[in-house]
Amino acid sequence: MRLRAEYRVESNLKFLGNLDMMNLMTRALRRAAIPFALSEGFNPHVKLSMGTVLPVGVWGKKEYFDLELIQEMHPGDFIEKMNRVLPLGMEIQQCIKLDDKQDALMKIINAASYTFVLKPSDYDYSALPDRLMSQDKLLVKSRGKQKGIDKDLRPGIFKITVNYYEQSVMIGIWVNVGEPINVRYDELLDLLKDQGVKHEEVLDIFRSENFMRAGNVFYSPFEKVR
Amino acid sequence: MKDKIFRDILPNVSKPARYTGSEVNIICKDWDKCRTKMAFAFPDVYEVGMSHVGSKILYGLVNEKSDHLLERVYAPWPDMEKEMRSHEIPLFTLESFKAVNEFDVVGFTLQYELAITNVLNMLDMSDIPLWSKDRNEQYPLIIAGGPVVFNPEPYADFFDVFIVGDGEEVLLEFLDCCWENRHLKRQEQLLKLALLEGVYVPSLYSVYYNENGTFNKMIPLYESVPDTIKKRVVADLDDAYFPDKPVLPYMSIVHDRAVLEVMRGCQRGCRFCHAGVVYRPVRERSIKTLKKQASEQLASTGYDEIGLTSLSTLDYSGVDSLVKDLVKEYREQGTGVSLPSLRVDAFSIELANEVQKVRKTTLTLAPEAGTQRMRDIINKNVTEEQLLAAVKAAFQSGWLSIKLYFMDGLPGETEEDLEGILELLKKIRTMGDENARKKVEIRASIASFVPKAHTPFQWHAQNTIEELEEKRRVLSRNRMKRIKMSFHDSRTSYLEGVFSRGDRRLSSSIYLAWQKGSKFDGWSEYFNFSRWMEAFRESDIKPDFYTSRLRPYDEVLPWEFIDTGVSKAYLQDENEKAATGITTGDCRWDGCTGCGICPAFAIDLDIKEEFGG
Ligand code: SF4
Repeated sequence: MRLRAEYRVESNLKFLGNLDMMNLMTRALRRAAIPFALSEGFNPHVKLSMGTVLPVGVWGKKEYFDLELIQEMHPGDFIEKMNRVLPLGMEIQQCIKLDDKQDALMKIINAASYTFVLKPSDYDYSALPDRLMSQDKLLVKSRGKQKGIDKDLRPGIFKITVNYYEQSVMIGIWVNVGEPINVRYDELLDLLKDQGVKHEEVLDIFRSENFMRAGNVFYSPFEKVR
Repeated sequence: MKDKIFRDILPNVSKPARYTGSEVNIICKDWDKCRTKMAFAFPDVYEVGMSHVGSKILYGLVNEKSDHLLERVYAPWPDMEKEMRSHEIPLFTLESFKAVNEFDVVGFTLQYELAITNVLNMLDMSDIPLWSKDRNEQYPLIIAGGPVVFNPEPYADFFDVFIVGDGEEVLLEFLDCCWENRHLKRQEQLLKLALLEGVYVPSLYSVYYNENGTFNKMIPLYESVPDTIKKRVVADLDDAYFPDKPVLPYMSIVHDRAVLEVMRGCQRGCRFCHAGVVYRPVRERSIKTLKKQASEQLASTGYDEIGLTSLSTLDYSGVDSLVKDLVKEYREQGTGVSLPSLRVDAFSIELANEVQKVRKTTLTLAPEAGTQRMRDIINKNVTEEQLLAAVKAAFQSGWLSIKLYFMDGLPGETEEDLEGILELLKKIRTMGDENARKKVEIRASIASFVPKAHTPFQWHAQNTIEELEEKRRVLSRNRMKRIKMSFHDSRTSYLEGVFSRGDRRLSSSIYLAWQKGSKFDGWSEYFNFSRWMEAFRESDIKPDFYTSRLRPYDEVLPWEFIDTGVSKAYLQDENEKAATGITTGDCRWDGCTGCGICPAFAIDLDIKEEFGG
């Protein structure tokens, strides 16, 4: 049996690397005595597959993993047992059963949205989406695989929103993940800085969602399953 | 402060998870409701400190079993230090994010001589004066424990108090005493603390030297202050506290697993071994206790590995059934058992095979020397036949790589002994070629012998750096296929040698070395030898005085006032036997060999199980 879970990673855990997250989750599975499946052979590992890596320094509102079990377990039961042992700052929010035909997360997640929380200032953020989206190219220095070379983010950006709140301004950016262009949050930050946003004005950054995008529609990794 | 650290500092440093706290099983007590507040400071980086078993014990003990409070702090890596200093963030603990100088006591554990520069750096980052004499009761008491403090003298001027021996036996008493005397002046507090057994207050003594520079005597300044400091010893480990809920780190640490301390002490009597003397006698835990601890720890951490630790785990009387039972019990869940360095015999290999069923581990053996003559000198009671039988068994049962530990620079060492190491390595390789299904890899790690206080070899001269380098050239002159040799840095060994048998006069050199930028001296990327030599020169210290001299038996040694229980006559006798190549038995099997420790503490070897291996 397979489960897909959606969880939240708060700010106090945002500095964990990918391996740390894996360890955190498998150790929680063990503490909660979840009947997880193990791989065969030497050095058996829990059959857990995490969605796209949450970058170090960013917290996540809706992150995902798939897990294989050797026994039936009610998703509600799973949530309860896990949340009892997860550390402060991490919580399972939803869980559903997957059938065997469902593709793995890594395969289906192809988009994500990042939110930049900014200090209100004289800067006119409301003009930002149109200004950026109307460009042909949005060049930054790559921070990914080909570090330092010019990278055009424009084809990987789908949507930009700006929302004003009393204490802050939130800029949401919907981007492509994986192929053909993987847009990183730190590249987006560079882009904002190129647009005149100051470093001190950035109060917080988080990944708000992960998506399976089909054309202009952004599905959550739960939607197509249901 | 916490917000500032998370927002402005952590995004800019490597491995920020070292500094975030909030781990699973962390204990954050209510500051205002606690009595003595102690910061437990480990003078190395988080992933090293978090692996240390003694720290886990003391953390749980104080926080679970008393009204005192203990919070953790590790040495910030240099990139973090830089950020902290530039943002004026003082050193803080991971539980409350309070500055270390707000605590009543700051306790360092000294696992390694050269960690002292990190101690000074951590005090400096806490805005605490480094010299004990510059601190009054407005500052925390700065204390230290751990194996290094069996010769505390080189560090005596920096610390207010040393705690000698098994920490869990004395720490609560110590913190109680701090609480009761919290309103007193520092000097009066120290006088009270000095009355506790195992507690050494260096400022309450004056030290005299002879004209030739050797140590003369040490005299207490007050009548109530004891002449000698007797180490503290846990008599029964089954009754001693051990944490069921150790703090579970988020990042990978050096020993990332549940640990069972199966016993403390070692009865083998290797003559170079410091731990072998200072942790004597052997005290074991029962299988019943250990199994319970295993199940509690796994339940509270979710680890998938249980490590059995001690100085010589394969000697534990219950090792055979404990390992087999643990493997059987947890195998289904994919949880494995790991053994540290193995004993050199076939039984050990058989057990390693048992463990290997679940998880692959490296096979590590420590013959220490290359010839029988030298193994007899150091009292490593292992024959070549035993060693070869062990590796043969290992290769036959599928191991393809073996790691071996050797030492060079041992007393009475000749060229033959060095050649012996090479010969032995080749024989082991041949054994592999004949018995393994593929080509085998052999890795040999060669450490330089450093004479240590309280051991039978404490009187010996240490090889000079030049001698060690020459030996290294001899050992590595020909490349040997599929045998990789690695050597400890001879300059590091030299400095360890200076401090392991040093005295109080070294403190100014330590201070200068730190001032010049020494820190993380145990890390080759930060170790800087010339800085140390400058520091010695500027403080008028001739470091060779501590390393290169053959000390006569009648010389008073600066660490003699620390009473480990071992008799000087025994150490001397062992040293004489070494010179003639006579071995001494193992007091677990061959009866008491008269080291004097058991009678000194009115205890006995504590063997818990019928040996079944
Ligand atoms: S006194 Fe005897 S039995 Fe006790 S540790 Fe020493 S040699 Fe072993």
